Amino acid sequence: MTDGPARRFTYDGWPGVARPGETLAAALAHDGFPILERSVRYHRPRAPFCGVGQCTGCLVRVNGRPNVRACRYVPRDGDAASTEIAWPSGRFDLLGVLDLVFPNGLDTLHGFRRPAWATRTYQRVVRRLAGYGTAPDDAAAAALAAPGETRSVEVAVIGAGTSGRAAAARLVAAGLRPLVLDRALEAPALPGTDRLGATTVAFLPPPEADGRFALVAVAEPARGLLVSARAVVVATGAYDAGLLFGSNDRPGIVTCDGARALTGADGRVPFERAIVVGGGARAQEAVERWGSAVAAVVAPGEIPPELVRAASDRGIRLYPRSLVLAANGRRRVHSLELKVRGGGARFTLACDAVVLAHRRLPNAPLLFQAGARMHWRAGGGAYFPETDADQATSVPGLYAVGPVAGVEPASSAASGERAADRIAGGGPSAEPLARVAATGVPELEGYYRELLRAPRLGRWIACACEDVHFREVEEAHARGFRGIEVVKRYTSLGTGLCQGRYCVPDALLLLSLLEGRPAPEVGYLTQRPPTFPAPIAALAALPPPARPPEAA
Amino acid sequence: MTPPVRSGYRVVVIGAGIVGLFTAYHLARAGAGPVLVVDRGYLSSGASGRNGGGVRQQWETRATVRLARESVAAYRRFGREFGYNVWFRQGGYLFLAETPAELERLAAVHTVVASEGLDSRVLDRAGVARLVPGIAPGAAIGGTYLPTDGTLYPFPAVWGVYEAARSLGVEVALGVSVSGISRSDGRVSGVLTSEGPVAAPTVVNAAGGWSGEIARLAGLAVPNVATRHEILATEPLKPFLDPMVVRASDGLYFSQTMRGEIVGGLTVPHPTGTGSGVPSSIAFLTAMARALAGVVPRLGALGVLRAWSGFYDDTPDGFPVIGEDPRLPGFVHANGFGGHGFMLAPATSRRVAAAVLGEATDLDPALFSPARFSTAAPPRAAERLQLG
Repeated sequence: MTDGPARRFTYDGWPGVARPGETLAAALAHDGFPILERSVRYHRPRAPFCGVGQCTGCLVRVNGRPNVRACRYVPRDGDAASTEIAWPSGRFDLLGVLDLVFPNGLDTLHGFRRPAWATRTYQRVVRRLAGYGTAPDDAAAAALAAPGETRSVEVAVIGAGTSGRAAAARLVAAGLRPLVLDRALEAPALPGTDRLGATTVAFLPPPEADGRFALVAVAEPARGLLVSARAVVVATGAYDAGLLFGSNDRPGIVTCDGARALTGADGRVPFERAIVVGGGARAQEAVERWGSAVAAVVAPGEIPPELVRAASDRGIRLYPRSLVLAANGRRRVHSLELKVRGGGARFTLACDAVVLAHRRLPNAPLLFQAGARMHWRAGGGAYFPETDADQATSVPGLYAVGPVAGVEPASSAASGERAADRIAGGGPSAEPLARVAATGVPELEGYYRELLRAPRLGRWIACACEDVHFREVEEAHARGFRGIEVVKRYTSLGTGLCQGRYCVPDALLLLSLLEGRPAPEVGYLTQRPPTFPAPIAALAALPPPARPPEAA
Repeated sequence: MTPPVRSGYRVVVIGAGIVGLFTAYHLARAGAGPVLVVDRGYLSSGASGRNGGGVRQQWETRATVRLARESVAAYRRFGREFGYNVWFRQGGYLFLAETPAELERLAAVHTVVASEGLDSRVLDRAGVARLVPGIAPGAAIGGTYLPTDGTLYPFPAVWGVYEAARSLGVEVALGVSVSGISRSDGRVSGVLTSEGPVAAPTVVNAAGGWSGEIARLAGLAVPNVATRHEILATEPLKPFLDPMVVRASDGLYFSQTMRGEIVGGLTVPHPTGTGSGVPSSIAFLTAMARALAGVVPRLGALGVLRAWSGFYDDTPDGFPVIGEDPRLPGFVHANGFGGHGFMLAPATSRRVAAAVLGEATDLDPALFSPARFSTAAPPRAAERLQLG
């Protein structure tokens, strides 16, 4: 995909060029952070954030199809892309005034009730403010229609990172031919396997009565795939978390993955003096990758010697034990307001981007769906599957390997191999592999305790997809509503297109502080299928099940 | 978890869904004395937090039409009475007919609805097409439509009644399960809970899908059956569809919420009972996708965002069960709503409260009383419009 001619497309009528191998998001980032999207309620400017097709920062309409993620779309010649929620354009949106007029947000739970005669008008106006794109064109739907496909395999491996590839290779060595399903747009062949790239597993229910798994996957853009498998290896890895602070949704604030996704085919990134937030291995990766374009590292806790060395070699300033209070800048972040932890001084640091690299979260929705027993690991600040020494979960035939299982990076490949060995009939391993942060004090818990007492600057966006202010979460708490499931329904937090990936993990930590009980008692959100928005055309093309569902 | 404070109450309501909370609210307003609502889940964990938000007045029988009409009026007032905006949007309910026989059946319903003074209409193919942009040419030959039906956002209704009941002194114990109904001298004397026994001369069974199990705890055989129904929601879009659209042949229904999502369901057979929990199935996702893309082809380019399921509490004749059980004085039914508890709760809960207080209600006992199942004679009527 990295050769061939450049593609010419239009964006809001303006000509654009994608170099070979570039996604629409990367192509539009040639001149800085592109404001592709406005937020649903308050029309806050938004730019690509996560880079891995999970958030709502880069939704665009392409050729009459709404809600296409620019970070996962490779343009073709003649494509017409456009902003969805803005008038007249993403960069200059007159409705952006809403955000200025309603600093505390619109209270749609308690407001707009009086007078009775205005009900219809309120409904018309508020309904117009909700929703992402407009309805699809008939032609767009017709163009997406593709025949569905059914496959029956011995083993399906979901994810082709280090652990998934290791599992696949070992299965091949044992004489099996695994089906490898991976979301990445580029999919180099794995010898001996059937590898499908650009394919997202949307739904993995618990095994059926005969012990086999049936899973639903969607290949870009909308080809449905129904797979029956005797064993499933989940190697879905981890993703970079968001962070709560004032104006945390500003364009220019990206995750580490997001910064990678905006890297052009020529290696250029849309920043020259970024602040990297984080003090661990991920922050170190960011410093090593973009050293000359990084101005400072801001860490919530102490900074380990390796990172100190890597940063000082490159002339990067270090700010350990710092609270991020807020971002400044409206159309693009231009500085961060910071405060030294433990009651230290407040200071401002100029930047042209903020790269979040402070923690990685397991990409575990499929494990929840399949019914694997999950447990809260305080050190990881997240739920991980319970596994034995061979990475077998509580569900027979279901294995979790690599970062999604909380395995140390150095043991990632080994975890995949152990699962493969067990599937191929090998004996059980004796000792479990080392786990990430199985114990220890979670860094962010103390961090957020301190942040809640610090000065509030800007709007804390607790859920960017649905534009939920953290103030609304606090209001739900003050009114006596308890637990993440109820707070979700009260505020809409976690009900947007990212399925709670970027808001729920931090909401759990914050509610744990507000409610004064451990995070696992605050609960977790049921991971409802599909894991990613699955086109209706793709689901409709799948054959009806051979027998009635769950005929017991 | 919030355990009960007192050891005894005038009334214990089992189930903190919309029916239980509304009943407790009306009891407290009538000055019934201490009222406790117990629920083993969190607020909105049952069908009250899992329904599609439809509120319709098109029914086969006058009795149901009247209750539904009263509920519509109540939901119109809800925001001003309870402080929460439920966004009750009267975009109408459109029933689609695919065959002349279906249209005939819908026209008969229309006659009943119209005779109750409601603005029901029979539409031809073009009339249907005007209400559903992008509808496939062969999707319907006509239908019926009542513009004052609508959809609401269920959660704020739960919050509003919860807060109103609590401010009147009602206790709501969440995360507390009921393991037994105690009796003495042939009548109810209380409930056994996971937090210990609670005394009460009256127990209201408003447990939705679990009401059959609760009745059996009291030693009562009831015909209620829990059936699991699934729903999905798509990515939210700017408004383009006003009515709730319902198809009689397979139970398909869908509407566009205030938030812009297309929310809808379809009947896929599942084993009955609550034992399997509330999972989603591939069978439903694919069948629903086929149905949606078949009726409105352009929706094929839209993504399904999430799916979930919940329990209907079905009765053989399609009418709810309301009133004291003649076999066990003090045991009051407020169940059997068959997936329509949310839309009927405002009207029915007022009558449940009246029944608890020993007052007469205007409900026809032949249709609503728990005694109707004990007689050998077949039920006099049935409410078969069990859709959306």
